Amino acid sequence: MTTVSERGAAPPPHSGEPGRWAVEVHGLTKRFGARTAVDAVDLLVPRGSAFGYLGPNGAGKTTLIRALLGLTRADSGTISLLGFPVPGERGRALTQVGAIVDEPRFHGHLTGRENLKILSAARGGDAGRRIAPALERTRLTQRADDKVSTYSMGMRQRLGLASCMLADPQLLVLDEPMNGLDPAGMHETREIIRGLVEEGRTVMLSSHLLAEVERTCDQIAIVDRGRVIRQGPIGELTAQAEAAVEVQCADPANAARALGGPEFASRITVTQDGLNIELRGGPARQQAAEINRRLATAGIAVHGLRLARASLEDWFLSVTSRLGEEQ
Amino acid sequence: MTEHRGTAARRASWLPPVPLIGAKILDLRKRSILMAVTAAFTVGLPVIFYGIRIIYHLSDPARYGPAGTPSAFATTVTLMAEFGFIAAVALGATAGSDDLADGMFRHLVITGRSRLALYLARIPAGLSILLVLAALGFSVAALVTGFLNDPHAPGALTPSAGSLAGAGVWLELYLVIGFTVGLGLGAAMGQRTVPVVLLIVLEIIVTPALADHAIPYFVNVERLFVGVAMDQLQPAVLAGAVHVGPTGGKFQIPPMPVWAMAAVIAGWIIGWQVVGAWKMATRDA
Repeated sequence: MTTVSERGAAPPPHSGEPGRWAVEVHGLTKRFGARTAVDAVDLLVPRGSAFGYLGPNGAGKTTLIRALLGLTRADSGTISLLGFPVPGERGRALTQVGAIVDEPRFHGHLTGRENLKILSAARGGDAGRRIAPALERTRLTQRADDKVSTYSMGMRQRLGLASCMLADPQLLVLDEPMNGLDPAGMHETREIIRGLVEEGRTVMLSSHLLAEVERTCDQIAIVDRGRVIRQGPIGELTAQAEAAVEVQCADPANAARALGGPEFASRITVTQDGLNIELRGGPARQQAAEINRRLATAGIAVHGLRLARASLEDWFLSVTSRLGEEQ
Repeated sequence: MTEHRGTAARRASWLPPVPLIGAKILDLRKRSILMAVTAAFTVGLPVIFYGIRIIYHLSDPARYGPAGTPSAFATTVTLMAEFGFIAAVALGATAGSDDLADGMFRHLVITGRSRLALYLARIPAGLSILLVLAALGFSVAALVTGFLNDPHAPGALTPSAGSLAGAGVWLELYLVIGFTVGLGLGAAMGQRTVPVVLLIVLEIIVTPALADHAIPYFVNVERLFVGVAMDQLQPAVLAGAVHVGPTGGKFQIPPMPVWAMAAVIAGWIIGWQVVGAWKMATRDA
């Protein structure tokens, strides 16, 4: 179980150790001129997890992924992929990594199968034998011999996933894999990703689609303005978020007065048939019970009481400064 | 999941494996317009040129001489060199830049394959297409010259096999230069249009203009242009060519030693490869 952390320090990575982390990043910084795209990021991706790297557009997600894969040089910090330091042993690490960075683009004048042949030739080893299974798994076999220029965005995304399979990867790094997909395509991609995780592979995906990440991933990191501001299991992180209690009761105005200004509520809204109480955080179930107890003590009949847990989106908006400001 | 450590070391090697070269050949030969232009400028040109001459000769032998005269050979090979150079540049610039332009470069780099190997694979891949087509076109010219000539006509002595072979080697070298310079420039600039335009301007305007005027105190600089060196290396069998272009092929630069020609040519080929490979190795993917 990963502990929820806020940019905590950790020991540097060691070469090729079959450790706990598939991706281990410490103090990674990447600047473009005066602009800092990735700012002293610490990131720990557990092996065998579906890990979401969440952030608004322009938060530095793709830049971090490009640095992870050695596509661009970081200005400072250490990176380890599957226990191999990058860029030092980048080649060894990448033998076991499949990745899509940005929009998946291929040679449009070639077929999907021919594009995979080119990539398998670059990979070497058994990659050529994985072309047919990869096409099958991404449901592209029927269109494998059509030119990629005739593919839809969703098909190109799936071809990107197929190209990742050529590596028989222990780690997949997917940058916005749901972009441009219709709901059916998203569902298919989600199924593929979950299947890969069930096989023991690690999938790290970046996205700004919160609902998709919530459905696909079990761990997340939130990045904002180039910095990782939270990371850990989704359930633990959203448990920290403010929850709300919806109370249906007689005489809502009196009920609000009875609750006074309890230290656990950040706001109490009187509605037509009750109260909406936004909790400050902490153990929401106990606070709901306390509300019920106080109302009962005041002689107010409570017809219903419902605890509304914050969604990932609510929590995300509350912790990312930019979106919070825009809201 | 399988173990991959065995392939990691091979992928770090700068030597491109045969399948990688084959993959690049696949990419290039499937570019139909590029292949059509390359084939037209290498094989199509002599086929059409000699085809017309043969038809004329057969229709009126008294008026039109045999198709395979030494002059016709020289003109054909010179035209093949000039047009073939353009095709070679286009092929090289495409080979050097199409992965970047199509977004495949990033996928290739993520495989962990050495970037130098990715670059070097383009050289044998492109040359295997270009030189085979040029050899086919040249064979047409050589066969017509060898078999459809009238050696008894004045000034029409059939060139020796050695002379023909020398012309063939010169032609292939000309195209190798065009391809490799185009490749290096295309890889360095990350696109093909500008390199193709630049090298066409160099080939058709700058080099003939410089070669036609031996500028005092500037002759050694003029000699650094690869077209000037190649012109001086031109076999005697091609001297009778009917040139097209502004200078009419009358080059005025004083002869340069063979070692100097070789150094200039090698410098252009190797220099541009170093530039292209360096840019490819250091470019953000």
